[in-house]
Amino acid sequence: MLGAVPYVGAALIFVLIPFFLSTYEEGLMTRFLVFALFAMSYNVVFGYAGLLSLGHAAFFGAGGYTVALLKLHYNVELFWISAPLGVLVATITAALFGFIALRASGIYFLLVTFALGQMLYSLTWNVKWFSSPGMQGITGIPLPDLAIPGFALDTTSFYYVVLFFFGISFLLLYRLVRSPYGRALVGIREDEARMEAVGYDTWLYKYTAFVISGAFAGIAGVLFTYYNFFVSPNHLGIMTSFLPMVMAIMGGLGTLLGPVVGAGVFIFVENFSSIYFPARWPLVLGGLFVLTIMFAREGLGVYLWRLWTKVSHHHESAKG
Amino acid sequence: MKALRVEDLSKQFGGVSAVNNVSFSVEIGERLAIIGPNGAGKTTLFNLINGQFPVTGGRIYFFEQDVTALPTHRLAHLGQARAFQIISLLQNLTVLDNALLTLHGTKPSRFKMFRPVEHFKDVFDQAIHTLDTLDLGEKKDELVKNLAHGEQRRLEIGLGLAMEPRLLLLDEPSAGLTKEEGVDVIGIIKKLGSDITVLLVDHDMEMVFEVAERIIVLHYGEIIADGTPEEIQADQRVREIYMGLEGNGDHVGAR
Repeated sequence: MLGAVPYVGAALIFVLIPFFLSTYEEGLMTRFLVFALFAMSYNVVFGYAGLLSLGHAAFFGAGGYTVALLKLHYNVELFWISAPLGVLVATITAALFGFIALRASGIYFLLVTFALGQMLYSLTWNVKWFSSPGMQGITGIPLPDLAIPGFALDTTSFYYVVLFFFGISFLLLYRLVRSPYGRALVGIREDEARMEAVGYDTWLYKYTAFVISGAFAGIAGVLFTYYNFFVSPNHLGIMTSFLPMVMAIMGGLGTLLGPVVGAGVFIFVENFSSIYFPARWPLVLGGLFVLTIMFAREGLGVYLWRLWTKVSHHHESAKG
Repeated sequence: MKALRVEDLSKQFGGVSAVNNVSFSVEIGERLAIIGPNGAGKTTLFNLINGQFPVTGGRIYFFEQDVTALPTHRLAHLGQARAFQIISLLQNLTVLDNALLTLHGTKPSRFKMFRPVEHFKDVFDQAIHTLDTLDLGEKKDELVKNLAHGEQRRLEIGLGLAMEPRLLLLDEPSAGLTKEEGVDVIGIIKKLGSDITVLLVDHDMEMVFEVAERIIVLHYGEIIADGTPEEIQADQRVREIYMGLEGNGDHVGAR
């Protein structure tokens, strides 16, 4: 029974919190949810399937750029067109990249994903079609038009849009990682030869995990671009690829909640340190990362979860 | 019909010939052991039969179906189960997880994405039942790495059998086992039904002579003898190879 408390509690907090926050803080919450979704998506390939990809921003950025390009070149602001197309392009990109990258394994897989991601980066950097006039990147992307008469999104209602998609994605992934398919991914991470020998087409599992992960990264990328009003080549590049990796590792790989916790810590520490010591943010992040690895190797999320189970067990046994 | 038929099978690594023009067939229900000194090509031969890597030449027929080009996971669906030389269970997962994953491997439900694995009642019950018969029911929530070596081997072979294979490939099942654990494994193999064909590679001659009805001796990738245990024991060339390598011994290759 108590096992559900953190979920219900977190859901309530997320729904109610905008009433207590400034617009700025609300934006921070939106940002947190977007990156939590991005980190969760990355966790599917790295945490569950055990594939260390260094090009995950490609799918995040592909989704984001699709939305931005539709606005820039075709003046499409309608959510129901640009968002699905964004996710579709991200998914197709993942399907292509995965097909190429999964010819290799281990460190070579990592290098190929890195190279493919940087290809997109350099494409958007060098080809004018991918930029607003006179810029590197596309600016002026408005909050999407939901086509509901008499209703236009503001930052608060957009927070709820993001929360909605985060919630749906969380539930889908929650189902996924507990399913025979999700457990098989863990089996493949642990011992691919074994899984092959008992009848699993391990290549197909890794490939579909890669594509599913790319699709969720695409959702995150689409939402991010609306939130950010601006998308640049950096959002496809290596620095952005590092973000979900760091978040997932910090929060706890191969757990559903870990990346969410990791993203939370990352986003809020980033925010505070950039207010109080703007030039020191990378140092703070580095320190935090090292401390996590040293003292909570399995991730902060796992650590917190254990604490909770301990407390709730204690509570339940106290009740008799 | 033969359970397995291998024709002119060859495998080269670079310029080195690991398996050289090997041909043999295995009757359904037969217990066949493949022995030979280290580097004779036994494990390579196993890997070829089990689709671990492609052949250089020759053909493999499994129940008269040409499976030469099929990957391992397809062979699992056709009824090949394998226990590896080094125990290949998922060490960081629980005993039950291992059972569930193994049993799902050859069922269509292995691709299901939106139902918890525990809700597939038939597979779940089968997993629990299998663990009970292996005397591991009470350890179902333990991580495999915390099991004793003998228990791991029992689980590995037991799960292999739970896949209801037509051909069981045992690659050094006695490796790392104590005497008693070895006897345990021999017992399991002897109890198998006659519908299961067993192909066995082992250094432990006690295991081989106890279990096998027929023995093939490999040397430098070629078959140099093929016969009953008695015939093999009496074979002069076999004796020479083993004596030359391992000195004296009452029967070939005694450890």
